[in-house]
Amino acid sequence: MPLRPGNRAAEGGDDLIPLRFGDDPLLWASWLYYEEGMTQGDIAEQMGVSRPSVNAYLADARARGIVSIEIAPDRFRSLSIAKALRDHFNLQDCLVIPTEGGERSLIARLGDAGARVLSRFMRSGDTLAVTWGRTVLSIADQIQPPILQDVRVVQATGGTTAKIPWTPEACASRLAKALNARAIPISAPAIVSSPEVRALLMQEAVLSEQLGMLAEADRIVMGISSLRPESTIHSSGFLEGGMQHAHYQDAVGSIVGRFISARGEPVIGPMHDRTIGLDLDQLRRVPQRIAVAGGMDKVAAILAALRGGYVNVLVTDIATGRGILTAEGYRDTPRRPPSEPDRPPRARTHVKKLINAPQDAVDETLKGALLAHEHLIAPVAGSSRVVRALDAPRQGKVAIVVGGGAGHEPAFWGYVGPGLADAAVVGNIFASPPPDPIIAATRAVNGQAGVIYIYGNFSGDVMNFDMAAEVMAAEGVEVRSVITTDDIASSPRETRSARRGVAGNIFTFKIAGAAAARMMSLDACEALARHANARTYTMGLALEPGSLPETRQPSFDLGPEDMEIGVGVHGEPGVERRGLASADACADLLLERILEEMHAAEGDEVALLINSLGSIPTMEMYIVLRRVRQRLKARGLRVHSSLVGPYYTSLDMAGLSLSVLHLDKELKELLEVPCRSAALTIG
Amino acid sequence: MGALGHLASGPGFWPTASMTEFSAHHLVDLFRLFALRLAEARIDLGALDGAIGDADHGNSMAEGFAAVVRATLAAPQDLPGPLMAVAARSFLSAVGATTGPLYASALQAGSRRLGERASFGPEDVAALVGAFADGIAHRGNARPGDKTMMDVWFPAARAVAEAARSGASPLEQLRQAERAAAEGREATRAMIAAVGRAARLGPRSLGHVDPGAASAAILISALREWLEAQVGDPPMGRIG
Repeated sequence: MPLRPGNRAAEGGDDLIPLRFGDDPLLWASWLYYEEGMTQGDIAEQMGVSRPSVNAYLADARARGIVSIEIAPDRFRSLSIAKALRDHFNLQDCLVIPTEGGERSLIARLGDAGARVLSRFMRSGDTLAVTWGRTVLSIADQIQPPILQDVRVVQATGGTTAKIPWTPEACASRLAKALNARAIPISAPAIVSSPEVRALLMQEAVLSEQLGMLAEADRIVMGISSLRPESTIHSSGFLEGGMQHAHYQDAVGSIVGRFISARGEPVIGPMHDRTIGLDLDQLRRVPQRIAVAGGMDKVAAILAALRGGYVNVLVTDIATGRGILTAEGYRDTPRRPPSEPDRPPRARTHVKKLINAPQDAVDETLKGALLAHEHLIAPVAGSSRVVRALDAPRQGKVAIVVGGGAGHEPAFWGYVGPGLADAAVVGNIFASPPPDPIIAATRAVNGQAGVIYIYGNFSGDVMNFDMAAEVMAAEGVEVRSVITTDDIASSPRETRSARRGVAGNIFTFKIAGAAAARMMSLDACEALARHANARTYTMGLALEPGSLPETRQPSFDLGPEDMEIGVGVHGEPGVERRGLASADACADLLLERILEEMHAAEGDEVALLINSLGSIPTMEMYIVLRRVRQRLKARGLRVHSSLVGPYYTSLDMAGLSLSVLHLDKELKELLEVPCRSAALTIG
Repeated sequence: MGALGHLASGPGFWPTASMTEFSAHHLVDLFRLFALRLAEARIDLGALDGAIGDADHGNSMAEGFAAVVRATLAAPQDLPGPLMAVAARSFLSAVGATTGPLYASALQAGSRRLGERASFGPEDVAALVGAFADGIAHRGNARPGDKTMMDVWFPAARAVAEAARSGASPLEQLRQAERAAAEGREATRAMIAAVGRAARLGPRSLGHVDPGAASAAILISALREWLEAQVGDPPMGRIG
């Protein structure tokens, strides 16, 4: 392509394309246009070509991918979700704002967005109905309307308790003021004491005049309330306990003070005839119905309102919008068709397993374990899922009984032996054992000094171990339960008691077993087990899901370049999905989350466990351990001991977990007490 | 949506009492149908569970009711109520997990409903829905909207109660329950799990039907199917 030298070449008056553009006029033109911000005319002059040529260069540069124009991903998602919501629910319009952003709360930002939408639609002469709530008040506080005349703002319902700042009166009067409009109140409570009172009030001329104006509304702006226990509707005084009534059990949301089911149908209960304000049929007749609502707890309520056709303009946020669509079965589509060629159909549909009949897998595993470790463990007559220590029961010693679902081998039988647990009970794969074998185990190892159950925090395990404990208590055996909660990924710090118990169990077993072996009292053993659990932190990640013997299917889908962070030990998905990273980056990720919670001081000592979730190469565990040790050293923490291997697996999940036990003098001493078992021998 | 118009079968149309009486033998037959329908759904339930749990729900339910059939067949028990208690114990022993105690409690409540009578009637079959719901609610701590089996059992039990109040036949009551159950099951898609294992997933549980809700709907359909086969009521005005 011939290029005439320009008059004002960019680099030192040189006649040619500056070197760094490698003789590529497209790149040069693009650079000048997009990076230097020059006009096409100036570029033409500089390059010594015509303006149409510059235009053609720029078009060509985009066509060849030299320049790619990107819409910020967040904005793009907003648009695609808004469009999908509009199409799916046949809305007039929809605005979706980012879920996160800046310092303002979601309600403040939704209020801002709602205010902008409302000012765009409002016209002189309009009658605007308005409901109540925090979001609606936020709209009223932020609206900057165009200059309008003869606007009326009408309360959509009667009044509520004055204990909240976002009452119907406040919302309507503040919005009226901002719009320079006339405020029309509804001069009655939203909920009156009886249908008779309502009937009487409705005969009042003032009220019927106000309700008449409400019926003339051209548009309405409203919030949508969830009825979940965490919803503020319960504290707003609007419901006055009436919601507890059985009639409202079908309700998933509230709109204009009325209740709707998941399908969007009215839920008519005893409050219906005591409510003064717009009803749902009247609402549907309002030409424009703007709902402003967001938050994951509101997904079901907003969805119900959309299904019922009570909304035709929606303002929400990305996460909520996606939640609504997901609940409707919509999936995010990739922005462009994937560039990779079609892969051949998967040759295999089943994961290979070395088993006999799937339903025999657990029993056959236990039989094998009992034979392999016959010098340590023995069966308990009449119960195929119980394993006891050969030396149990020991009179006067607190007995430790551990257990949970199968599929975690060598847990739990691998931790039965001197200095560790006295018995282990397993259920079906990933399912808690029922009470009967737990009871059998307890009877088999009870040394008349009390029994401690130690198991991970899963609702099934809690139910079944509790049922067993009740039976044992009735037999006069004192049973304490220590429920482990080491998995920091599974719930925030504030709700530690909701966390799962995973591989860090091993440390709690060890400490409790050592305390019992030292013939400490039931109280002391229990306190130490709790202490160990409180100072144990685990975080796991998976590269591939595991598969159950019965289904032989991966238990969840994981993309070819993805890893799952915060996986549990039952093949359930984790808390977050990310692109696969290097071993060191993963080690950092796990350790940093743990250190953030652990509050260790320089010089503190820890014990480590790098645990295989079933099928990660041993090499990779040591690579991760190396990095964890480097980081701990840099942090000034000492490592007392490192366990590396399959200690608490999740069938064949490919992944690992890192557990850290934050030692103190007492825990360190107990950690060093000798123990002997199939999976853990110390001293 | 919008199926309400089909519910027009008026009160008094169906006979409210029936001459048909069932024995313990019939109860085993009912359990056999539970086991069969759950076994058929094993893979589908597992897939639902895999999305938000550990994929074992289909197996647990199918194995659990298979164990119930074995135990009730073998039990030397001629009274339906006590036989249902045998079912409760065998389900618990076979399943464990969360499902075990919950359905054991359901079957116990069913056993109390049948009492020590020598036989039971179609109205008892319909009333099992409410008894099961009560039993599960007694043991579990889920509330409506928590995305659990209760989001099927609660509305189904209410549907039976409402239909019974309006004079519908036991079979019609179960048809209403079946419809409410299907709706409840679908409604769990829009819920975020609040208890149980899926609760740790938070918003990621959205869009998925809860497997416990799905198996509950299967049991309720099976109750309807079984009673329909017994009383031979023509499927007039049949819902969906």
